[in-house]
Amino acid sequence: MSSNTCQSAYCNQGWSEVLTHMSPYGYANFGIAFGLGLSVVGAAWGIWLTGSSLVGAAVKAPRIRSKNLISVIFCEATAIYGVIMAIILANKVKKPEEALSTLSEDWDWAGYYYAGYGMFSSGLSVGLTNIASGVSVGIAGSSCAIGDAQDASLFVKILIVEIFASALGIFGIIVGIIQSNSCTFPVTAI
Amino acid sequence: MATPAPKSTPGNMANFNILHGFPEALVRGMRSSFLADADYHHLTQCETLDDVRLNLSETDYGDALADMNTLIPTGLQKAAVEKLVVEFQYLRTQAVEPLSTFLDFITYEYMIENVMLLLKGTLSGRDINELIAQCHPLGMFKESTMRSIPTFESSPRGYQDLYQTVLVDTPVGPYFSLFLQESAGRGEVSNVLEEVEIEIIKSSLIKYWIEDFGTFVDSLGGATAEIMGDLLKVRADTNAINITLNSFGTPLNEPAMRASDRKRLYPALGHLYPAGTSMLGDVSDEDELGRVLDLFPQYSSIWNVHAAGGSDGKSIDDAFYERDVMQLELAFEGQMHYGAFYAYVKLKEQEIRNLVWISECILQQQKEEIHKFVPVFSFNAPWRAGSKKQGR
Repeated sequence: MSSNTCQSAYCNQGWSEVLTHMSPYGYANFGIAFGLGLSVVGAAWGIWLTGSSLVGAAVKAPRIRSKNLISVIFCEATAIYGVIMAIILANKVKKPEEALSTLSEDWDWAGYYYAGYGMFSSGLSVGLTNIASGVSVGIAGSSCAIGDAQDASLFVKILIVEIFASALGIFGIIVGIIQSNSCTFPVTAI
Repeated sequence: MATPAPKSTPGNMANFNILHGFPEALVRGMRSSFLADADYHHLTQCETLDDVRLNLSETDYGDALADMNTLIPTGLQKAAVEKLVVEFQYLRTQAVEPLSTFLDFITYEYMIENVMLLLKGTLSGRDINELIAQCHPLGMFKESTMRSIPTFESSPRGYQDLYQTVLVDTPVGPYFSLFLQESAGRGEVSNVLEEVEIEIIKSSLIKYWIEDFGTFVDSLGGATAEIMGDLLKVRADTNAINITLNSFGTPLNEPAMRASDRKRLYPALGHLYPAGTSMLGDVSDEDELGRVLDLFPQYSSIWNVHAAGGSDGKSIDDAFYERDVMQLELAFEGQMHYGAFYAYVKLKEQEIRNLVWISECILQQQKEEIHKFVPVFSFNAPWRAGSKKQGR
């Protein structure tokens, strides 16, 4: 092992060094990207699950077609959670007052890294919960359309199931906001 | 066996709808076209066939019967079957692999029946045009294929020629070739009546079809394998029991043929296979059959209907139909599997049987017999909760 270790000053000494050398600004922006992107994946997944069943079931029972758009809107809400989170996070990324190639020694390094990791994790929290929520709403919505076509009294009942599935995404966004609350990028040296 | 394994699976809850969401929702939407309890109630109250037509014009059958001046049971059946075929073909055009292969599998059964109908018809010297008109439209081949089937003589040599020149290109060709291989292996069986021979061919082809379908459904996996696999198992068992029951009093029940021929006709699939079918192979009369079925709780109750001698006017076929309807209705309870497509076709067939029965009873003034049918998706069904007949 030791014989293979690179002795140059420019070498990485392990994963911890690789990770700490990635810019916290990069972490923060990836957090935004994952939060928004995964939420949209979840919403899109739910919409086609619901949509394909909706058009099929509407052939024999055309009355369901506008009512069941509510299921599609529930899926769409998942994407909106991602957008809200992305806007909150994007407002927290602040560039330093002086543009320097290196940061000074008395820069608030702890707060700097804390903000980067915090925003990355908060974006992932929102994104992953929203995928689960979107797929869940989509499956319930697909069954809702098929059930409603047979028996109109089922619609409201399955809608409640969908609301609970949709609530999964809200859990994610609540925790995401709390996680990112204390993340503030330092703009000047202490 | 004959059909290669599917290249893709139907998918699970999260991705089934990518390819099959639309056709599945279509077939589930079509579930609303089944006649309801109220419709059956009105139909059974009818005095004449014109009343029947009037009642049906308000149901999903309205368009199919619109240009029919006088309603007769056979005409009603033809129109209803044609309606089912149009719906099925619509579903088939919307389907992509592997659902399209699955739907084709449903039609193979009718193809086998048509081939056998043509062969049997020519044996009794009937007109080819008349026979073709009787064929089930779901199992049609090309016109030229249909016309050339009855030209072959009914002997092992003739079947060989029939396979090589006509059936080799059709989807049921592989089953026929399997049958030929097997009958070549068992050698020349003498003094079998031609009509028994035809029944043996038919049962063998259906057996190969069920086994092939079963393998295909198994390779699809997931909820499809679970639900459709069970439907096919029950189907295979029903066939095995019926083959045994129908063989009593025919050469097939002779001790020599029991082992060599009848045993071969039992599908290698189902709840009875292998322990039950091997016992069925030695059965020589109804009492022994009853003793074997006693070991299988799901069939002993059906057998008891038969053993009771139809005291409440029910035959074993009615008992099987009733059980089938219950099973097929269950296929509609789950989502994101293919079983619903098979169940739809089979339940529609049951509904057509009901309509024909009701109209025949009215035509022949047999009103006391009119309630002997098995309604589909009925709230009064004995297996439904809240029904008055519960705990039967």
